Amino acid sequence: MATQNGNANEDYAMLRKANPVLSDGTPIADLFNLETREVSLSTMYDPELYRVEMDKIFTKVWLLLGHATEIPKSGDYVVRHMGEDEVIVARDRKGEIHVSLNVCPHRGMHVCTAESGNAQVHKCIYHGWAFRPDGSFVGAPLEKEKMHGDIYPKEKLGLKKARVQLFHGLIFATWNEEAGPLEEQLGDMKFYYDIMFGKTHGGMEVLGPPQRLTIPANWKTAGEQAACDGFHTLTLHRSQFDIGNFGNISDTMEEFVPIMQGVNVADRGNALRCISAATTFASVIGSGEDFNKMSDDERLAKLPPPGIVNAQLLAEMKERLSPEQLHVCAVAPPQVGNMFPNVNLLFIYAPLPDGTLGSGYVVHTINPRGPDKFQWITWFLCEKDTPEEVKDIIRAVAVQTGGTSGLIEQDDSDTWPHMTEAARGSWGRTETLKYQAIGGVNRPEGWPDKANVYAGLSKDDAQWHWWLQYHELMVNK
Amino acid sequence: MSNTAEKIAPFEIPPISLPKPTDSITHYQIQQFLHLDAYLLDHHLLDQWLNILAPDLRYFVPVRQTKERKDRDSEFSTKLGHMDDNFQSIALRVHRLVNTGTAWSEDPASRVRRFVSNVSVWETDVTGEYDVISYLLLTRNRFYQEDYTLLSAERHDRVRRKGETFELVRREVRMDQSVLGMPNLAIFL
Repeated sequence: MATQNGNANEDYAMLRKANPVLSDGTPIADLFNLETREVSLSTMYDPELYRVEMDKIFTKVWLLLGHATEIPKSGDYVVRHMGEDEVIVARDRKGEIHVSLNVCPHRGMHVCTAESGNAQVHKCIYHGWAFRPDGSFVGAPLEKEKMHGDIYPKEKLGLKKARVQLFHGLIFATWNEEAGPLEEQLGDMKFYYDIMFGKTHGGMEVLGPPQRLTIPANWKTAGEQAACDGFHTLTLHRSQFDIGNFGNISDTMEEFVPIMQGVNVADRGNALRCISAATTFASVIGSGEDFNKMSDDERLAKLPPPGIVNAQLLAEMKERLSPEQLHVCAVAPPQVGNMFPNVNLLFIYAPLPDGTLGSGYVVHTINPRGPDKFQWITWFLCEKDTPEEVKDIIRAVAVQTGGTSGLIEQDDSDTWPHMTEAARGSWGRTETLKYQAIGGVNRPEGWPDKANVYAGLSKDDAQWHWWLQYHELMVNK
Repeated sequence: MSNTAEKIAPFEIPPISLPKPTDSITHYQIQQFLHLDAYLLDHHLLDQWLNILAPDLRYFVPVRQTKERKDRDSEFSTKLGHMDDNFQSIALRVHRLVNTGTAWSEDPASRVRRFVSNVSVWETDVTGEYDVISYLLLTRNRFYQEDYTLLSAERHDRVRRKGETFELVRREVRMDQSVLGMPNLAIFL
């Protein structure tokens, strides 16, 4: 037995090294064909690969956990996941946000058993060890008896802490002491995320607690799709055209292609589809005016981003964003995409039944819960200073479009489990995911030189970037 | 033991706070209405199902969070739902499912059965409108799955008399899961 354990440990040590080798002798590098742009379908189920991902990705990168407006007051907390670890996200008396492992260092019990609430002291229900919102150890019952022992000082007995960084109110954390700031991970894409999340002085807020559900699929099925899969819109989301949500009913697929037009941008596995504003204008508002002849200012007034519903907010946006960013917003605003590895973004420009423009911001995380399961978390956001009655409309439209029952996203969540089921088969696992529809770098005149820019029809370029980043972390690091 | 025996408890037992339910004939009629509702949905008669929805319908499935017992009143979000619909948006969902042939989240359709029980009916301040609570146990089976995904919930409905029958004015579905165990709500509850 001892020998067997020894071998298993050696195998696992091999997996942790650069260019790791799976126990059947396959180097992880061989799951990719970088020349033909193929990825083995086995990646969508392999339990061994999953374990490596937890080590090499989910304990190394910055992960999105929520939004600062979910815990506005001192002592407010929510419990979230980083990889498969539960963490407490809490605000201390000074207003600072901390992320601590929700595991009591005494006997391994979850310290918080509720998912949200308010507490200045988190007391473990098992033996009563107590911790502050910043994770530090307060003490254990029977203080005089030193029930926490006298081997470690109290400073050593706090909850394990992650590093925290806020980005326009979004709470990110990482276990990696050596990771650079979040900006490094976002790379050139920060330019575009600033447009999405940093438009107003008041910033954004959540419109309620997140929806959560379980999808029996590997986390990467949703992960890679989020990185600019514009192509699936035509087929998987065909019903949206049929019911008129993406424009008028047409008979041929060619007529739907405008929705795939725009500018895809990608850097370091982060990607966004900037969808042609002229297309959105024609399909959603369709007033007959020639959008293409309008100036940037005129366009922003006609088709403002979700939540920018009055002159005050529009003025703030113009103050906060650079002319280059405003140009992007006017020509092809970022709408659908991801943040590597497991954030999915959907900023909707949707028509309301009365013909006006409804809209909403949907932010997901894809939280792995095993090789064939993930939790799909959905937050609905809005500008804090958007009038309350408009927020109510935005909330309802966004819930009807994205998340659990969203008319668009319910088709996605039903598709992903099939891919993981397919990846379990002896032959299925030998198939490949193909990213061979290449548009190539193509930056339109006037478009800022930020990230890799792929203008035109949405092809596989940006999604391939997602896999290159995955490859970089799994094989090279 | 004699029925005059004293009850001994470590605290004072409060009286039952539920109001008196309605008469048995109305109760029976509303129970039949809920059975009709379940039958139409289970048998994919979604277009016909629209007949029993009121034009001023509000259909809400609130998001739920696990809270400490002292915070239990705030378990259900009053604002954010897994579903948040009115008649018009429900009709659009039905149109997509029934008329497009491309509503992939329910094509092939799930095999769903809605078991409705524990029906309670109360009169309201509005003549002809009733508050109805029912328990829902829903089984959903899909594709190759050998097992069922289950959803249990308490439905808080407002039901209005309409001629010989009723229409649904409000439905709030309070699920027993904080993390929904199925990949979407492409079905009605």
